Amino acid sequence: MEVKILSAKFDIENSHKLEVAKEHGAYATLEKLFAMEPADVIEEVKKSGLRGRGGAGFPAGVKWSFLPKDTGKPVYLAVNSDESEPATFKDRYILVRDPHMLIEGIIICCYAIGCHDTYIYIRGEYTSQVRILQQAIDEAYEAGYLGDTVAGRDFKLEVTVHRGAGAYVCGEETALLESIEGKKGQPRSKPPFPAVVGLYDCPTIINNVQSIASLPFIIDQGAEAYTAYGTEKSAGTHLFGISGHVEKPGMYELPLGLPVLDVLDKVAGGVWKGRKLKGVIPGGSSTPVLTAEEAKTATLDYESMAEHGTMFGSGGIVVLDDTVDIVALVKNLIDFYHHESCGQCTPCREGLGWMLKITKKILAGGGSSEDIDLLLELCDNIEMKTVCVLSAACTMPVRSYLNKFRHEFEAYVEKGASLQAAGIQG
Amino acid sequence: MAEMIKLFVNGEEVEVESGKNLIDAVGAVGIEIPHFCYHPALGADGNCRMCLVGIEDGRPPLVPACKTPAAEGMKVQLDTDKIKKIQRDMMEFELINHPIDCPVCDQAGECTLQDYYMTYDGVSSRMNVEQVKKAKKLDFGGGVVHDQERCVLCGRCVRFCRQITKTGELGIVNRTDSARVDIFPGRPLNNRYALNVVDLCPVGAMTSADFRFKQRVWFLKKDEGICHGCSKGCNIFIDHNREKYKDDTIYRFRPRHNDQVNGYFICDEGRLSHKKENEGRLLESLKNGKPYNLTESYVLAQKAITNAENVLILVSPNLPLEQLVATQVFAQKIGASLSGYSDGYIVKGDGDDFLIQDDKAANRKGLELLGINTGGDFFWDSLEKAECFICIDNELPAVDTKRLIKALRETKVIALSSHHFNLVDQAFVAIPVASFSEYGGSIINCDGVLQSFQAAVVKNTPIADVTEVLRRLGGPLSSAPEVLAAIHRVEGPLAKVDFNRIPAEGLKL
Repeated sequence: MEVKILSAKFDIENSHKLEVAKEHGAYATLEKLFAMEPADVIEEVKKSGLRGRGGAGFPAGVKWSFLPKDTGKPVYLAVNSDESEPATFKDRYILVRDPHMLIEGIIICCYAIGCHDTYIYIRGEYTSQVRILQQAIDEAYEAGYLGDTVAGRDFKLEVTVHRGAGAYVCGEETALLESIEGKKGQPRSKPPFPAVVGLYDCPTIINNVQSIASLPFIIDQGAEAYTAYGTEKSAGTHLFGISGHVEKPGMYELPLGLPVLDVLDKVAGGVWKGRKLKGVIPGGSSTPVLTAEEAKTATLDYESMAEHGTMFGSGGIVVLDDTVDIVALVKNLIDFYHHESCGQCTPCREGLGWMLKITKKILAGGGSSEDIDLLLELCDNIEMKTVCVLSAACTMPVRSYLNKFRHEFEAYVEKGASLQAAGIQG
Repeated sequence: MAEMIKLFVNGEEVEVESGKNLIDAVGAVGIEIPHFCYHPALGADGNCRMCLVGIEDGRPPLVPACKTPAAEGMKVQLDTDKIKKIQRDMMEFELINHPIDCPVCDQAGECTLQDYYMTYDGVSSRMNVEQVKKAKKLDFGGGVVHDQERCVLCGRCVRFCRQITKTGELGIVNRTDSARVDIFPGRPLNNRYALNVVDLCPVGAMTSADFRFKQRVWFLKKDEGICHGCSKGCNIFIDHNREKYKDDTIYRFRPRHNDQVNGYFICDEGRLSHKKENEGRLLESLKNGKPYNLTESYVLAQKAITNAENVLILVSPNLPLEQLVATQVFAQKIGASLSGYSDGYIVKGDGDDFLIQDDKAANRKGLELLGINTGGDFFWDSLEKAECFICIDNELPAVDTKRLIKALRETKVIALSSHHFNLVDQAFVAIPVASFSEYGGSIINCDGVLQSFQAAVVKNTPIADVTEVLRRLGGPLSSAPEVLAAIHRVEGPLAKVDFNRIPAEGLKL
């Protein structure tokens, strides 16, 4: 099931070094790239069906075409490497094991959109990623792949690594821009969208690491080679970080569209310790949970996840076995999003804290059935009333747990303990 | 005139100004869209989410009104169940961690949270877990006291210090519901407009150390006035109250919006100058510094004036046109010299490029238009010759005291004074006059804007204004129409002004 496109060099020793990477084909597409017109590059990427790999899945080529023409302002590219969504650890593999694939992707993107300044925004705590990425960038400058004349062509490109101070919300694209500008990382109201008014009020494209890293293959092999993988609306491959209660957790590159349970069983070795499956978080903690039953029909692509009332997300799959206490899980989940709420707008700032306290009360055995209903109502009251979607990243999954596992909450209300502790079958 | 467009609010067609956001555009025709964080002087921030409105067929269908420009044909929904619920929900979020102790909050009675609760909420609290605890009674400097628990994090105060004063003392620290407005350690508010954050604050989080807990605001009478602290003439509200068994007392000045003069703000010195209306006042007549019967004082003053060969009258540059012209006519009648010497009112370098002016005289332009001589030489020459010197409320700030004492050695001084200024005790006779909160009149600011104002405060024992005092001393003008007629006789721009129809924002001469 596994494929090796993005991860082709992951297992090669010292693949992060330019010399080794070049031996295995790094920067080989540039010849072809500079022979193309920028508009043709955008067209090729559109044809490839590449969708934003940050979680939202917006078609990358379409996003690029939103850039206004002839504004007289510089165009910026910001590469989102904040990767702070719990259960998501795909971008770090690219940064550490094949940073030159990312740099090559940046060159392709910048050539296509007419950009000469790129910022890679990376969470400050990711020290080893920063170190390795910066070494690779330094090497690329030295070798002439970055700088005044990229690969000897009349094309200038500067790449700067910007380290954030460690906030989940800075993965939200406009908070990311604020942070690069040296301000507190808080999302901006949209419209205007960054493609029109972005970094330093200039047109800006923000793409996820994996989206950019997918470009060399698309340009090298062509859109059709890319669409040969995946489904009609979910083309290509994706890095899946599988964690939780499986026998073989890890990072796997798979084509989109595979059945969830097949992947769990055949790639990740099945639910650990011979236990039963309770649920699957399909793509990072903010995606609504799939029950074991729902997982039977779900496939790992954007359409199927939408049909199942959830989202494809970031490829961070978490497998939950039948011992998982959903109420405790929800408490953890809200705790995270509450802690990461930037505090800017009222519903998220005040609401998530309230939800957390209610959940803690239920968990401590002091909750009531009304509290469960209140939690559900608060999800509705907060969601989509805020500046950004951080609050929705909390309320959407919480709602799914409340609706799909309500009996576990009721057990706490009635027995003051979890289903398991109360000796009730789940 | 701005371009007008038509849009629909709750299905009703209204005509509004284009280019404005929905809050201002629709607000101008009397339809309120509730909001905490938006302020016309500070722009839209979009953080409170209270102004979310529905746009029929809109993409997206739910928008913050503060960030949404009014557009032709737009169908704005404010009274749908969905929007009403959102407003209730936002109020609930604002209130869950807000102390519900309005009776002891200084903002009660002028609190946006309170008002909105009554208008848009009105349901009981569902908060049954522990509230977030934050710090209270923080001294932010500049006379500002902050309560973090009452704060709704609208950020108006922060934006004021960043955008208006550009001093940036305030910030919001921490994330999530630990977010709070704070100063940097050891760096308090340090700008001359700091107290505006108290007015900007929609709730009781920012209070003025000068005013807090002095009065319940619903007892205050809020009269319109003009600040006399400098030549800018900022528009203010004079908030005053006569408590039982006490006198009518001013408790605070607040800025009153006037785009032609001061916008939405006033400086702290001007704001705190309300104290001067209460303190240091000359309330009884004096003879040689000792209390003396008022009627007898008039007799003494009249005699002194009649007996003098040379009389010099010095007026204050704060007096309104009406009192100045009355003085002018009085001076003509008795053959006195009239000076408006007031160089000492100019504090070089004190002003800024916002509101505060170097010139602390409220009506210097008025002196000029009436042709009153303000020259120093004329004043001193006339003073040397004068046998009687009538000083009308001129503080003589920064005057050469030695020279003044020398010049006055043989001179009978009559002080008509609102306050216990230096010269009052040395005066042969001192007669109290009203201060600017107690009379009406017209003044012209540094930019040539003529503004009129009415009396706000009525003391238990009213004090006569300058026009009335001069009439009692034999002045020829005895009524307001006579005074206005006298102003109209002055050649220049004042001749044609209809003083009964000066627009609210003032008349640019």
